Amino acid sequence: MKPAQPLVLFVALVAFTAILGFAGASVGSEGWEPLFFRAGNTDASILWDIRMPRTIGAWLAGALLGLAGAIAQGLFRNPLADPYLLGSATGASFGVALCLVAIGVSPIAGPDWVGHWALTLAGFVGAVAAVLITLVLAQGVQHTLRLLLSGVVVGMVFGALSALVMFRDPGIMRAMQSFMLGTTGFLGWSSVALLAIVLAVSLLAAIAFSRALDALALGEVTAASLGIAITPVRTVLVIALALATAAAVAQVGLIAFIGLVAPHLVRALAKPTHRWLVPLSALAGGVLLLAADVLARWLLAPREIPVGVLTAVLGGGYLIWLMHRRPR
Amino acid sequence: MRRLVSSFIVIVAAMLVLPAHAAPPKRIVSLLPSLTETVCVLGHCDTLVGIDDFSNWPEQVQRLPHVGGLDDAHVERIVALKPDLVLLSNSSRAKARLEALKIPVLAIEPKTFDDAYTAMAMVADVFGEPQVARRLWARMNESIDQAARLVPPSRKGVRVYFEVDAGPYAASESSHIGEILKRLGAVNIIPAKLGSVPKINPEFVVRADPQVIIIAAQDAAEMQSRPGWGRISAIREGRVCALDSAQGDVIARPGPRMAEAARVLAHCLAK
Amino acid sequence: MTSEILMPAFRASNVHASLGGAEVLRGIDLAIASGRWTSIVGPNGAGKTTLLKALAQLTPWTGRIELLGRDARAMPARERARAVAWLGQNEGGAEDLLARDVVMLGRLPHQPWLGPASAQDRVTVEAAMRTTQCWDWRDRPLGQLSGGERQRVLLARALAVDAPILAMDEPLANLDPPHQADWLQTVRSHVAKGGTAIAVLHEITMALHADDVVVMNAGRVVHHGACTDNASRRAVEEVFAGRIVVREIDGHPVAIPHSGKL
Repeated sequence: MKPAQPLVLFVALVAFTAILGFAGASVGSEGWEPLFFRAGNTDASILWDIRMPRTIGAWLAGALLGLAGAIAQGLFRNPLADPYLLGSATGASFGVALCLVAIGVSPIAGPDWVGHWALTLAGFVGAVAAVLITLVLAQGVQHTLRLLLSGVVVGMVFGALSALVMFRDPGIMRAMQSFMLGTTGFLGWSSVALLAIVLAVSLLAAIAFSRALDALALGEVTAASLGIAITPVRTVLVIALALATAAAVAQVGLIAFIGLVAPHLVRALAKPTHRWLVPLSALAGGVLLLAADVLARWLLAPREIPVGVLTAVLGGGYLIWLMHRRPR
Repeated sequence: MRRLVSSFIVIVAAMLVLPAHAAPPKRIVSLLPSLTETVCVLGHCDTLVGIDDFSNWPEQVQRLPHVGGLDDAHVERIVALKPDLVLLSNSSRAKARLEALKIPVLAIEPKTFDDAYTAMAMVADVFGEPQVARRLWARMNESIDQAARLVPPSRKGVRVYFEVDAGPYAASESSHIGEILKRLGAVNIIPAKLGSVPKINPEFVVRADPQVIIIAAQDAAEMQSRPGWGRISAIREGRVCALDSAQGDVIARPGPRMAEAARVLAHCLAK
Repeated sequence: MTSEILMPAFRASNVHASLGGAEVLRGIDLAIASGRWTSIVGPNGAGKTTLLKALAQLTPWTGRIELLGRDARAMPARERARAVAWLGQNEGGAEDLLARDVVMLGRLPHQPWLGPASAQDRVTVEAAMRTTQCWDWRDRPLGQLSGGERQRVLLARALAVDAPILAMDEPLANLDPPHQADWLQTVRSHVAKGGTAIAVLHEITMALHADDVVVMNAGRVVHHGACTDNASRRAVEEVFAGRIVVREIDGHPVAIPHSGKL
């Protein structure tokens, strides 16, 4: 199959985004019900205060995960790498678990905004802390294998710690489950702004280093021979990866497969260099998560399926299809 | 009708594991808070020798040895207390182990409002005092009706939203909380057909515009700052009932304290 | 330009290198001439790849190395990247990149950090790909090419750097005889234009087509001289403990495997 032109794929993904954006704004607690044509204050509020930020936020979170996945796969030279490899997922879980316990201990502790932002902040800090610990354990970014192993270890330890916290305080279990399966239900405009800023910054960083990522594909020695400074490049990319993942996880919880599948899909359809792969993966990630979110809201309205369940089904299905069509 | 059937099934399931008792039990271990409360309300609190980590009412049981949580009871500790009856839920993993060790168990899992009576009746039966259960149940229902009178007529038919957990998970009409609210004259915005504690789209709550929101105190602050929720009548008019953990316990357990639950809820509705 | 022909491409003094705690290079003193093709041969584990990597500044070393007369440690990475083009063993992994994008990577040392590819870049890439005869599949992803086709793309990538020194580690992997002959031709024309080529080769016959040969054993250089020298041929036979003999056929040196003693 002849690879598609990156530009064609770009246009297609933007088109999908627009369609899904319209769908996202039209699917609500009654299923399909576009509100643009009805007047009335409540409806306008529902559209602008609830559905729009949620839809845009879902797309942004997906874009962050897709971007992080592209960086992870380039950094680790492994098409099966995903952004949670450095322990950020379980780090976020642990942060959220601790925060839920703390809130439970002192329910009327802080001002209103604390409740709203505390969990998000806890998730973000937890994710970043886990990645930092991974870096320390691996003694820097020079050795890919050591990084991967440290990430696995840190992931397991934080997972165990989260389980321990839940064991000590089972009251938080339902809230933790909600976090771990992912939801876009609580995204407001401030979350959208935050996600957009992090996306812009990490996208710029990744595109700036896209040539380095291409060179790394040929191996570290060859990349060094082409003048790439491996350690600083790796450091910046790991930071971008950590920030993008942490921001997404903090806002929408743990959503599986998007980071793995988005760059994979782009590479299956076109064979771009990272200059295109990075933004296309972000676009693809946004489309995938938004599609899953719309379905999650639509299928059993007004009940909501946790979005992480749908991404697992869709992502798993894609991987199975992949296994069966490639001869190798 | 569905409730009758489920109660029936609960009774049959329980009877299958309940061995014949010559004498009433003297050493009971309870692994479910509502069953602990039931035993005490029936006047046999002194027979309790061990409880689970979450049983905390009445105060005197707090001094008893704890034998584990709902899913991870310590079989050894239970056996060491030499009980002649263990009360637990059907889904408890200790059940099979205890039966294999020939310890008498009574498995009850009250989920709905009527299940609470079934549980009370079964425990009373074990002590050979079925009439006590009937009496207590009648009294409880009277108390609930009294609580319903605490809600002024102007507040009858008020739209209420009860959030069980962040998610958001809400209590629908078919949950025991929903039934109590109905008896108090409130209208639950979550219909029964969605299940007993469904995870719902937050948009649905905004649409339904409840006039009263009942939620755990620790979740109350975050709930009010959710996108679009500022327009909900309950939040605009300050009719958010934040339950502390003691109140949360009373309401969450379908057991003998539902009258007190009704009183708490009635105060919430009357605000 | 003339002075570069006299100045050695590399001068190594007392160079030591270790890999994973074990010492691989045990004091190398070597001067590799510019404008000539030098082969590096020796048994497995002699340190050939490590020596080449150390010279190309791709592995840590101690001692002193001069690159085109300048202290290698003092040279900025980009300048060094423009001076030495590297072709390594097993440069796999870029399965999803198109062949011409892979070759374009060779232009990295010349490109500004964020700028697009220039016309000069495109011209150089095409020339390199035509030289190694892989221009026809420039739009195919690397993963869809055979071993030999892939190797030619990677060789083109090294040529695209347009560096005066070509350092190659086992460049003939997967190449069939006609393409091995092409490679010979490419190296010779690079040298004819004033460039330097250094190749680690385990195909002794091909290695002896070079101008000079460096024979290594157990981390040391045991011989360095012209391939036409009989002393060099004897050194090659000895380092392989008599398991090969070097004979001349039609004026070309040929290494023949030999079982048993001479």
